[in-house]
Amino acid sequence: MLARRASAFARSFATVVDSAGVKVAAVDNGQPTAAVTFLVKAGSRYEPKPGVAHALKNFAFKSTAKRSTLGTVRESELYGGVLSASLSREYLALTSEFLRGDEPFFVDLMSSFLTSGKFLRHEFQEYVIPVVEAESTAASQDPATRALELAHSLAFRSGLGSSLFASPHSHVSLDDVKEFAARAFSKGNIAVLGTGIDSTALTQLVEKALAGASIGSSAVESKPSTYFGGETRVESHGGPETLFIGFGAAGPADPALAILSAHLSPQSSVKWSQGLSPISGAIPQGTSVQSVLMPYSDATLFGLLVQGPSAEGVKEAAKVATKALKESTGLKGDALKMAAAKAKFAAASSLDGRDGIFSTLSTKVFANSEPSIEATLASIDKVDAAAFSKSVAAITKAKPTFVAVGSVQTLPFADEVGL
Amino acid sequence: MNALGPSLAPYIRSSRTLKKYVAPIAHWYADLMGYRKMGLKYDDLQVEENPEALGRLTPRETYDRAYRFKVASDCDLHHHPLPKEQWTKPEDDKRYLLPHIANVLKEEEERATWDTMTVQRK
Repeated sequence: MLARRASAFARSFATVVDSAGVKVAAVDNGQPTAAVTFLVKAGSRYEPKPGVAHALKNFAFKSTAKRSTLGTVRESELYGGVLSASLSREYLALTSEFLRGDEPFFVDLMSSFLTSGKFLRHEFQEYVIPVVEAESTAASQDPATRALELAHSLAFRSGLGSSLFASPHSHVSLDDVKEFAARAFSKGNIAVLGTGIDSTALTQLVEKALAGASIGSSAVESKPSTYFGGETRVESHGGPETLFIGFGAAGPADPALAILSAHLSPQSSVKWSQGLSPISGAIPQGTSVQSVLMPYSDATLFGLLVQGPSAEGVKEAAKVATKALKESTGLKGDALKMAAAKAKFAAASSLDGRDGIFSTLSTKVFANSEPSIEATLASIDKVDAAAFSKSVAAITKAKPTFVAVGSVQTLPFADEVGL
Repeated sequence: MNALGPSLAPYIRSSRTLKKYVAPIAHWYADLMGYRKMGLKYDDLQVEENPEALGRLTPRETYDRAYRFKVASDCDLHHHPLPKEQWTKPEDDKRYLLPHIANVLKEEEERATWDTMTVQRK
């Protein structure tokens, strides 16, 4: 019985079905709750003007032709569901989590926003703008977020380089948001992901919900990404001193970078130990180094985020991290196997949670690629020492993306940390 | 009944015969009220019980409304209406505030309904 269930799980992991132009993928592992995400290609890389995608995200679950903002909230409270909207550089995700059996209501609720959102002017002023401003302010107070935003704009300039947050000086009008929504909410741009729900049931619901919809079939456009790189320094107070040392590459995600990230990441697998990463033992106490791997549909940004209370400590840690990064081209044998195993575990364990499943599916569902975990694990397994060394050499040869946030007088420059 | 007061207008408008007879009287009465001589519009006379609705006007509408009030209070100060060519023309006398007030009232009503509802599981 157990073996049968296990094989059923392996087989049934998220088959992508095309239902009248909308891609539907669902996986049912027998969770007690279900969740459905409407994934729209309306991330910041597609926005016509800075901040429009951020404003559109905050318009989620506001008045539609079917129910008012209050009705949306009260009715989903009666069902005990949780509604959330999140924005990435590529996608706007509308998610609702609910008890099994309530899916007709929640699919209808989310699809009604996509098909008949009212975008009222007073809601824009009363609900959307204050939240957009608060989120932007909060993001600007966090040095790590700020460093990553700056790193993206240096690395990719336009497209993926555009910020997730509306800057306080961007003038986003309601018409901008409406126009962007009208372009983005079309069938080719929408994918529906579900967990804890049967694929055929979800397909039927989505078909029904989008049947009478007058949504167009235009596609949003964004230039293919190119990696540029560069250096910037931004004064900031009150947070830890922060450095971001990154490299990027255009093109599809390279499994070698997942191994590199696993190799460098100083997070130990055992509590109260330093871990075996070349960075973890050598950095000064109090400073931290995080490896950051951000794969997108047509580019990847990989980097090390160095943070610490003092600029001197951060400088030391950055030197160590850069040295480790440069030396990792020679990684082979057991060390490579260990890093690959760590990368494989990270990829597989992310599928245990709902967020992990959605983020894994979201990269695959639009690309029409095999969404199973086996394909990912096999691609990591295939990387040998020569291929790894070639990939790492290729990515580190490009111009680095170097961002310093904090006291710019004392934080090091790129050439001072060995880049 | 609500903040807009009772109104027979929807009923009269729905009947063609009634409308034919009542409309001229209504127009005559609106002229007789005298607010147009002060440069005001009918919705300017609406009691400001609904600050939320006022907040939903566009910046341009808000500015124009304040300007009309200034002109009207100036007229009041001089105890003299505006020269005839500056009177509000009947075709300009639009109910610009009415839809907003109606929306706000509808929302208040909806909130009250949600607040006082009883849930029945089917």
